[in-house]
Amino acid sequence: MNHYFRLWLTSARYCIMRTLMFRADFFIWALVELFWMAVNLLMVSVIYQHTDTVAGWTKYQMMLLVGTSLLIQRFLMGFFWSSIFEMGRNIRSGHFDFFLAQPGNVMFMATTRKIDPDSMINSLVALSVVIYAARQLGLDPSATDLALYALLVVCGVIIHYSMLVLCITPAFWITSAQGIEGSYFTLSEFSRLPRQAFRGAANIAFVWILPVVIVSNAPASILLHGFDAGIVGWVLAITVLWFGLAVFVFQRGLRRYSSASS
Amino acid sequence: MLATLNKYRAAFSVGLQSNLVYRVNFAIRGFFSFFHLIVVFILWSAAYSGNASIGGFNFAQTFTYFVALIVVQFMIGAFNEDYQISEDIRNGLINQFLLKPVNYFAYRFSLYLSARLVTGGLILLPLIVTYPLLQDYLVLPTDGWRLAIGLPALVMSALIQFGIAYCFGLLSFWFLEIQGLVILSMALESVLGGQIFPLDLMPEWLFRISQYLPYYYQMYFPVAIFTGRLNDPAMALQGLAIQAAWVVLILGLGQLLWRRGLRLHTAVGG
Repeated sequence: MNHYFRLWLTSARYCIMRTLMFRADFFIWALVELFWMAVNLLMVSVIYQHTDTVAGWTKYQMMLLVGTSLLIQRFLMGFFWSSIFEMGRNIRSGHFDFFLAQPGNVMFMATTRKIDPDSMINSLVALSVVIYAARQLGLDPSATDLALYALLVVCGVIIHYSMLVLCITPAFWITSAQGIEGSYFTLSEFSRLPRQAFRGAANIAFVWILPVVIVSNAPASILLHGFDAGIVGWVLAITVLWFGLAVFVFQRGLRRYSSASS
Repeated sequence: MLATLNKYRAAFSVGLQSNLVYRVNFAIRGFFSFFHLIVVFILWSAAYSGNASIGGFNFAQTFTYFVALIVVQFMIGAFNEDYQISEDIRNGLINQFLLKPVNYFAYRFSLYLSARLVTGGLILLPLIVTYPLLQDYLVLPTDGWRLAIGLPALVMSALIQFGIAYCFGLLSFWFLEIQGLVILSMALESVLGGQIFPLDLMPEWLFRISQYLPYYYQMYFPVAIFTGRLNDPAMALQGLAIQAAWVVLILGLGQLLWRRGLRLHTAVGG
């Protein structure tokens, strides 16, 4: 464990040094992220100018949900996105060989090599959206609720990580299909919607089968309505399930991998 | 004249072939934009429950707007033209165009047209397949003036789409990396171009301002005409005039950037 933490820390240090070398770039990307978050909040405020509730959620409840969903996504972007996105390209180009020679688990090495400091900084902005919405709602969560919120956010990051890995691993089999990565973003759009808005087939598909909706709704509902053993248990179970699936598929893919270039 | 046309017809047909190679990718992208439509459907139907109309439009009208937007996006959207132009400059491919009697703008525009023909055709497939599911939620007005003004608006929107991408691509003469700028502009475009919500739902003053910005004319304007969010022919004609001004301005800017950029260009590689 300590070994992996030290490996990660070394990569992180390298990434931060790189960022400091390209400061203008860092500034632009941080701005880009900030802007996308503003876009999401703007949508909430425009919709609520014309209606009071969406699927039973008031404006600030919705803002809490969107903030939570953004928080999970910023963490995913900050810690994993660059590495996982590159992984697809590396598999196609043959540069993936590099990771086979690394001193650690291949999946760990390949998915944690690069961090994005700009997303990490913006996770603070997402967090302040959550805090602002909670203040507006007059919420007063207990220490247990806050700890559970943090736990469910971490579970959310793990689930999103697993789904993203599952979106990229087809590259081991079909090296030509580029742009599958983009499909993940479309799925993540669902995470900004209240669970109650999903009915019928959509409820089965996006709440029960694909966990995108529950991942953001669960922590938000802990803050809003307090502890619910059913929801926490459910999220913990699907976290283990999806992470296990991602590891399994990745390992199968790895066996298929044959270096592409020289 | 005919010889000139033939040159670009060749570029067009090469572009068509190379885009057809990636038809599966485009089909996947088209397929996933229908997931986006599901998000839109769920969100807005939840917002509409309890409200018969939002901003003066019913659910079907709003949903039709988003469907039309996706179709138009595949028909005229400049997906990665800016990136390709940037690559041409960075790896020196652009040098060829300085030596041969081929106009770079016309060459790129031919490629853009061929790509849009492929994606525009492909988006119709998922639309036809899902039409039985969608038809209850689709309403299109039938007034004749909408075609008369909407079609030229659509053509000019395509020119603005391509023109902006062209300008961004040419910025590579000055900056090594343009992706950040492009995505920043995409974020602006997604709001002020009406991709997140129909622009008329914005506060009145912001909507007024947006009508003078180029984003409004990138896609929203023709879509609003076709789907009935814009109901006043006189307003539409006025919009057409502003749009024409933007077309001239953006294409002019492209020319200027090209000339200035070439002066800086040192023709490395290629």
